[in-house]
Amino acid sequence: MVENIVLGIGITALAGALAAVAGAAEDTESDIGSQGDPNSQVQLAPQMGFIHRIFNKAVSGEPPAYGLWCALGAGIAWVFLIKDVNPVLALILGATIATFVQGVYATSGYLGRTASLAKFGQPVYIDILKSMLSVTMAHAFVAVFTTITICYLMNAVLGHPFPLPLLGIVWGIALGAAGSATGNPFYGKERQYQNQQFGAGVPISASGNIVRYAEAGQRNSLDNGWFSSKLGGPASGICFGLIVFLELWRTVLFEHIAAGWGAIIVGFAIILVFVVIDRWIETYARKTYGPYAAPEEANL
Amino acid sequence: MTAQITVTEGGLPHNTLMIYGLVGSLVLVYLTYLNTVTGTQLFSFFGGLGAIAALIWGSDTIKRLCSYGIGTGVPSAGLLAFGSGVIAMLLATRFGIASPIVALVLGFVIGAILGYIANNILAMKIPVMIQSIAELGAVGAMVMIGFSAMATGSFTFDALSAVPVTVLGATVNSFESSLIGGSLLAAIFMLGGIALQHGFNACLGPSEQQDRTLMLTAEVGFLSMIMVAIFSYVYLDLFAVLVSIVVSVIGWYYTYDQYIALSKRDAAAWLDSKPIVEPEGH
Repeated sequence: MVENIVLGIGITALAGALAAVAGAAEDTESDIGSQGDPNSQVQLAPQMGFIHRIFNKAVSGEPPAYGLWCALGAGIAWVFLIKDVNPVLALILGATIATFVQGVYATSGYLGRTASLAKFGQPVYIDILKSMLSVTMAHAFVAVFTTITICYLMNAVLGHPFPLPLLGIVWGIALGAAGSATGNPFYGKERQYQNQQFGAGVPISASGNIVRYAEAGQRNSLDNGWFSSKLGGPASGICFGLIVFLELWRTVLFEHIAAGWGAIIVGFAIILVFVVIDRWIETYARKTYGPYAAPEEANL
Repeated sequence: MTAQITVTEGGLPHNTLMIYGLVGSLVLVYLTYLNTVTGTQLFSFFGGLGAIAALIWGSDTIKRLCSYGIGTGVPSAGLLAFGSGVIAMLLATRFGIASPIVALVLGFVIGAILGYIANNILAMKIPVMIQSIAELGAVGAMVMIGFSAMATGSFTFDALSAVPVTVLGATVNSFESSLIGGSLLAAIFMLGGIALQHGFNACLGPSEQQDRTLMLTAEVGFLSMIMVAIFSYVYLDLFAVLVSIVVSVIGWYYTYDQYIALSKRDAAAWLDSKPIVEPEGH
């Protein structure tokens, strides 16, 4: 009994660490591809006359896309596990094949969206496709492999009743949602609009006027990946890592109390604690930084 | 002369495509029944081809529905189709040989109910809403029954929910390693749902062309088919799996190549390592 709990805590810590890596890789991957809500500005820019060299990987929102990559990776790993292939090899094969599918979707999304903007003169930059693709695929591999490994640990070691592909779809959607909600503001609200005053929001007149030139030369999505791997990626990693860690922690420690209700009560308690923390941060930020104020004249 | 203008404006009319997709997917899914007739598993890949026929039809439906200005709703339309389709498909597999027809009809019915709720109760007021959601429900059901037939070689509930496994010399039916019990259906759900919306979602824009959009849908359909061929490794003999993989890889390579050629045709320019071309007036 105690040994089971000790093993469970060890798996919880390992899964939390894997999830932190998954979150960081997911956010960097999606930002290099301008996926999720920052995509709308990349799509809009040529229509407003701002031709750019940014990768526009239009697949879908991050939660459904990662639902597919992780369900597919987990499904293929499940197939090889049924055929008695070594679990590590099965997980690697699943993640590799899912990454191949991700790469094909990414190329067709960029070509399709860009060709449909022909009316506004946005050309297809084939070198962008070649140089961004390998980088998004590498990050996608890390994100998918770590996520399906978490699913495998839950299923095989912790005895989760869901089969591997179902865990893949659930945790894939959770991963995409964590990366989309936490990481995207760093790219969509900050990086794309470094030419606007900080904290000014995006006025309608600036819509589509995204930063297109870099420190040296012209900005491409590798520059955006470099930026979001600094803050957006780690923030998403902490978010998804905490989700996985707290979810497993409450289950492993409290599921034997009151016939399973212990884990549910602790789950509600965790939600309440986070509601309080969120509210405190929000009011603190409003008090400290306040609404956007017009600059004051210097008093000479 | 007027006919030519119609063709360049919008390509094939939607109703023609719908009939091609509907009849094509039904016939192709039924061709997997040749497995039972001939006692082999070689004809399983027809299920995947049936799913692609349904995907092409559904892709055009999404384009028609989303032309009413629900831009961010394109991926949700794909998932809605499969959410309603999975109910129809699972229920329909109980009907033996009639399963594909029942799946199609139930998909239409469930979709029409959802469309009615969206249009009249949630008051979205889109003229083609009920018909489009009904079509999408049918497409979701047909794609899932097609891919399931391709993976297992059959479209009946017994084959999808139990697999004979030899344990200690005795043969027992295992639920855990079946398509439904092992939740491979969840992976098929996502493969179909994302493939259905990707064609129009990736090609939307003022210079969208129907042939390019539908070619992309066929491409991602064949890509999903390769994945389903790998899934079928659990249920089919190795030769049938190889036939499925060869058919889907050839189809994928051809459609991908065609899609790149069509993108090249429609793009404003096809540049390699060139700087930003500023439009005039900026």
